[in-house]
Amino acid sequence: MTRYLFSRLGSALLVTVLASIGIFALIRLVPGDPVSVLAGPDATPASRAAIRAELGLDRPFWSQYVHWLGDLVRLDLGPSYKLGGDVGSLIADGALNTVVLTLFALVLASAGAVAASTAAVVGDKRWLDSLLSALNTAAVAVPTFATALVLVLVFAVRFPVLPAGGTPPGGFLAHPDIAFQYLLLPGLALALPAWAALTRFLTEALHTELRQPYVTTARALGIPRRRIVLTQALRNALPSSITVLGIQFGTLLGGAILVEAVFAWPGLGRLVEQGISSRDYPVVQVLLLLSVVVFVLTQLATDVIHAWLDPRVRLDSRVKGASR
Amino acid sequence: MLDLHSTEAVLEIEHLAISFSQPRPAVEDVSVTLHRGEILALVGESGSGKSMTARAVLGLLPPGAKATGSIRYDDEEILGLPEAELNRIRGRRIAMVFQEPQTALNPVRTIGWQLREALRAHGTPSRKAATERAIELLRAVEIPEPERRLAAYPHQLSGGQKQRVVLALALANEPEVLLADEPTTALDVTVQAEILRLLDRIRERTGTAIVLITHNMGVVAEIADRVVVLQAGNVVEEGETRALFADPGEPYTQTLLASVLRLPELDEPVVEARRAQAASQLDHRSVPAVEFRGVHVRYGSSRRGRAFPAIADVSLAVAPGEVVGLVGESGSGKTTLGRLAAGLVPLADGQVLLRGEDVLAAPRSERRHLRRGLAFVHQDPEASLDPRYAVGASIREPLDIHRVGTPAERDARVAELLEAVQLPASYADRRPRELSGGQRQRIALARALALEPALLVADEPTSALDVSVQARVLELFRELQERMGFACLFISHDLAVVHQVADRVAVLRAGQLVEVGPVGSVFSRPAADYPRRLLDAVPVPDPARRGRRVKELAS
Repeated sequence: MTRYLFSRLGSALLVTVLASIGIFALIRLVPGDPVSVLAGPDATPASRAAIRAELGLDRPFWSQYVHWLGDLVRLDLGPSYKLGGDVGSLIADGALNTVVLTLFALVLASAGAVAASTAAVVGDKRWLDSLLSALNTAAVAVPTFATALVLVLVFAVRFPVLPAGGTPPGGFLAHPDIAFQYLLLPGLALALPAWAALTRFLTEALHTELRQPYVTTARALGIPRRRIVLTQALRNALPSSITVLGIQFGTLLGGAILVEAVFAWPGLGRLVEQGISSRDYPVVQVLLLLSVVVFVLTQLATDVIHAWLDPRVRLDSRVKGASR
Repeated sequence: MLDLHSTEAVLEIEHLAISFSQPRPAVEDVSVTLHRGEILALVGESGSGKSMTARAVLGLLPPGAKATGSIRYDDEEILGLPEAELNRIRGRRIAMVFQEPQTALNPVRTIGWQLREALRAHGTPSRKAATERAIELLRAVEIPEPERRLAAYPHQLSGGQKQRVVLALALANEPEVLLADEPTTALDVTVQAEILRLLDRIRERTGTAIVLITHNMGVVAEIADRVVVLQAGNVVEEGETRALFADPGEPYTQTLLASVLRLPELDEPVVEARRAQAASQLDHRSVPAVEFRGVHVRYGSSRRGRAFPAIADVSLAVAPGEVVGLVGESGSGKTTLGRLAAGLVPLADGQVLLRGEDVLAAPRSERRHLRRGLAFVHQDPEASLDPRYAVGASIREPLDIHRVGTPAERDARVAELLEAVQLPASYADRRPRELSGGQRQRIALARALALEPALLVADEPTSALDVSVQARVLELFRELQERMGFACLFISHDLAVVHQVADRVAVLRAGQLVEVGPVGSVFSRPAADYPRRLLDAVPVPDPARRGRRVKELAS
């Protein structure tokens, strides 16, 4: 197990480093020059050169990269070009909002998926299956910004029961009930596609489990179907669903950019959007790298949880003889 | 006192018919009566409807199956009961044990959890009481250290222990009827003998009536009181075990009994059959088809000192044209040794020579050429043939790979091979699923022989087949072997099969060679103790020789 963990850590580190090079290169390939944005349309070539030298943009690519990497390791993220203030503090301000929103969406998506798929499998009704599959298709097909806008129109404008956007005044912990109201609409919009993918996967996995011989054993013992699904099939279907959940986490990160824009949610997603439109290199590249790190860590956690949930992996790694 | 010869019916099946959307019904007309405390064997080949009949009793038929007729338990109709009412009977009154213990238990729950769950389904309320009862049950199925085993997961137990746990689950709520569907088929002979004895003891102790579904006439002779023979969904014959074996009335029963392979009696005079003369003519001085010289194979990481020796210091040579049987129980390394011949397993130490040439020392480019002289036949023909290929294309594939002759010549060769395995040439266009198991194994054999190999490695080639089919495939194999003269490593757990086809036999145990010798002498007078125990455990298809059980115990 430790050995497994180390090999996974190694590959995670490799992915992160490669991604950081990719991000760094990609940002510099994007058309538009931060120097002209900063210097304004009337700048003289001399002042442009001065700005370029000050930002270190006149040095060769690798030198810039190594310099940046050094700063990252020292956790000195430097000033932003345009948005004002230190990159570190910009990120720190937005991080909490985004973490709360994505975790909320993750919980909504997974709880909703477990509830919907077990209900469908336990109920074993054709109409329930059709309804779920229609909902699923809709949730995947309609883009996140559209569902977000529809949710705002219905629940904040037509029937003003929930706030249309922004974060709860006074933070998340002061009044959890109010915080919940603020979180509900963006959380739903963000969770919907992940919920659909998870539900579809989990339903299929449960159906597969119900065809396994151990289920026949349980049925032959007189254990009711509902209990078999809840205590046995679900437990077996879980490890592979965790992997799917990990992948869905990536779509949540991407979706957060759109949802935060629609709900005026001051998080990292909005920071990415602002950073890109104002060519603020330092902000964008750190945020992209951060999302890579989060994604890689999620995958790592997924693999570890997967291994831990399966006693065959968890308890012994002995290799048995192949002869039978 | 329990009356083992009670004639009071506990389960009555009358005119049961089960049909799917297919044209032929799975069960046409089956009537069986089970008496209290008896062991009734339901015998038949695959597709005879024996498993379906048992599943119908508990309402566990696959979706889409329609069952008509009557199944009465304790004079109450139970066929077609709603699920909730069936759940009161399942496990509590009638329980079932399945064939494959590897998959019959939930892999992510402990043994204790699964036993408690079975007890909970029929109202053992407290966790403590359930745990105590679970320990008691594990003890009843003779699992050592039951307290510790409660926390074990299925993968931590051996196949035999798993089947004991499955049995404990079935017995948890003291059912009156136990349906055992091929409960020992997936197990080694020595373990099979233990489980059969256990079933018998359980019947004697609790008076549970047992329906034993099996295709193995040896098992029937060993343990059953009465036999019902099924063929294609109908009852062919029914009778008391001794009477039926002594004087089978129906032709089908006669063929079934006749196709059972018999082993010679232990300590009989050595009879080296027909093959012995052939064997003596083999030129043992010529270069062997395959030779293992002090080979070792280890699984697992050797760096961490946890390597598991799969093969330890085995030396064995197979002369050209010789058939050597490799026998042993699960984990003995017989399959590994077969794969080693093809260089499919990394060798830790020693040498493997194919016709005198070291396979692993040969450069990569030459290995392919060396391997051309070698072919494989696997246990499950369904898994070893590509389902999307016409079988003709499967047979042709090795010819294509090694660019043998022109395309027209290859087609002619395919027709020739089909004829050799006694299938019409028109079968070349069929897909594997359109063929029966025996026909598929013939195709696998034809493909293996396509390149006229010097050595054939046959890994349990007939284990997945019915006895009558097995007999025909073995006959074909022998005929082809004599005609084409290939050497063969014949791997099997079935001693009778090896006795039938092999010239010499090599007995493996835990990766070590225990005994090698001519078939006749090893099987009649084994020098080592282990082969003797193996032979002893094989159920003898003769109820008159049932030695281990005292029938008059309760009368």
